[in-house]
Amino acid sequence: MNDSVRHFRDFIVSLKLTVVLLALGLLLVFAATLAQVDLGIWDVQENFFRSFVAIWHVGRIYLPLPGGYLVGGVLLINLIAAHVHRFKFTARKSGIFLTHLGLILLLLGELLSGLWQEDFRMRITEGETKNYAESYRVNELTITDTTDPKFDDVVAIPEALLARGEPIQSAKLPFKVVVKSYFPNSMLAMRGADSGPAVATAGIGQRVIAAPQPPTYKPDEQNVPAAFIELVAPENSVGTWLVRLPTQETPFPPQTFDYAGHSWKIALRPQRNYKPFSLTLEKFSHDVYLGTSIPKNYSSRLHLANPASHEDREVLIYMNNPLRYAGLTFYQSGYEGEHTTILQVVRNPSWQLPYLACTMMALGLVIQFCIHLVGFIGKRRRTAAVPA
Amino acid sequence: MAARHIFPAFTALTLLFVACRDPKVTAYRVPKEKDPQMGPAAPAADANAAPAASARPPGPSGAGATMAATPVATASGAGLIWTAPGSWKAKAASAMRKGSYAVGDAGAEADLSITAFPGEVGGELANINRWRGQVSLPPLAEADVAAHVTRLNENGLAIVIIDAAGAGANAQRVLGAIVPFEGATWFFKLLGPDAVVAKARPEFLAFVKTVKAAP
Repeated sequence: MNDSVRHFRDFIVSLKLTVVLLALGLLLVFAATLAQVDLGIWDVQENFFRSFVAIWHVGRIYLPLPGGYLVGGVLLINLIAAHVHRFKFTARKSGIFLTHLGLILLLLGELLSGLWQEDFRMRITEGETKNYAESYRVNELTITDTTDPKFDDVVAIPEALLARGEPIQSAKLPFKVVVKSYFPNSMLAMRGADSGPAVATAGIGQRVIAAPQPPTYKPDEQNVPAAFIELVAPENSVGTWLVRLPTQETPFPPQTFDYAGHSWKIALRPQRNYKPFSLTLEKFSHDVYLGTSIPKNYSSRLHLANPASHEDREVLIYMNNPLRYAGLTFYQSGYEGEHTTILQVVRNPSWQLPYLACTMMALGLVIQFCIHLVGFIGKRRRTAAVPA
Repeated sequence: MAARHIFPAFTALTLLFVACRDPKVTAYRVPKEKDPQMGPAAPAADANAAPAASARPPGPSGAGATMAATPVATASGAGLIWTAPGSWKAKAASAMRKGSYAVGDAGAEADLSITAFPGEVGGELANINRWRGQVSLPPLAEADVAAHVTRLNENGLAIVIIDAAGAGANAQRVLGAIVPFEGATWFFKLLGPDAVVAKARPEFLAFVKTVKAAP
């Protein structure tokens, strides 16, 4: 074994590394807790724990910290490597072994949750059929070729790319997408005489003004992003549109235009996750206790259709009785008005891992404690048996 | 030093994972969505029902104005012509409106907008319900439409008249005509305070009868 490989091995199995990583973990949790005031829970989770490098803003100083994936990842490697290299499995150490195995599983579980977990929602009005779920927080700009009478060709650009402000090109689009301005949160007002010239040259943006707003981090408030998007064809500009996320209070329908003999549609919307099956809401019921307005039960009677598996059946979702289908769980999470249901659509294939991991760790600690206790009692007996 | 090797290794690993998480432009094909049931709160309304917007935008200058008349694609080609009553004040034309008038007295005005869009714009029911949504009325079922509309046949045009008044102290009322014409749909919409629109109703009905194809 050459020197550098041995150095690397010694580093990766060292207990000092474990201590440093645990300390860094503490620091990360501390920084994230403080940052939550300004960023909110979701951003903290993304930027501090589900990232390799976290940037902590302390006043005007930007402090880079190792992110959750880096600390957790190296800790995982360290733990496994130390076991392989140093620990010899013996009955006396079985408790420690089980505890460490539980810890490995816990770290892996978090990693898998971060990678696999999906948390979407479906908003369906009675009579409506949906074959997609929508993200709660992630949005996308879509430019759709609606020329084909049967299909829509969609090009979806994540909001994160709009925020970068760089021109975006796609092989599926005959024009370049230029982000003229992007507001993470915005307000709309009708254009008045004193509004100045409109940035938008087509669509709704000619009649309204969109003004940037400071982003909100309160859990009960929603950021409503908006952007001015110019589509630039090789020979000329097709136009500039204002796009904004539609909300219940301020709908902002997709805008249409024609270019190069095709019909197009441009919109900013919550990111969609298409499914190979569809749900049609047949009836939404909102029952209250007789004579009061206290909710008793919300339920959605839906029709599930999956052409691939020839399934065509009715399902009923109500509080505490979700639909489990295709690895997803559909919960009755809310409603809008009398005829629109909101279902939470969750996928987390590794949801049992933390429970299993914690049970293993607890069991391991109990076993190790008992081994020591038995050893200790035996030792005392032996000492007592021998007269001084 | 081991750190010399470890640092580049972890940097590379980090970059690899960061690259994997990089947001990407995606392209896919989906079957066309069915026309949604247009309710007052249907933010995902289809493009072709573009004027749909029942809520008022926030902000000081948004007061009293609606995005309801916000057109997106305008019909081109042969148009319709009309004769407006002398008491209506013609407003500055915009690129989006084929015609625009202020109806009533200053201070108690209703807005008459004339817009046109290609195609059926979601169909008759969707448009009726869109207008009902603008005065805070619940959508109608297909079967109830007949009882809520008046159908005229004037100058070779099949005109559908809708009159819907909201409830409450500051109730708004919409009095509108939907006129399909040569592959496009024209909307003549009078929207304003209930009292103003009610007063202008006979004038509006007479006005609608003057609508005809441009020679």
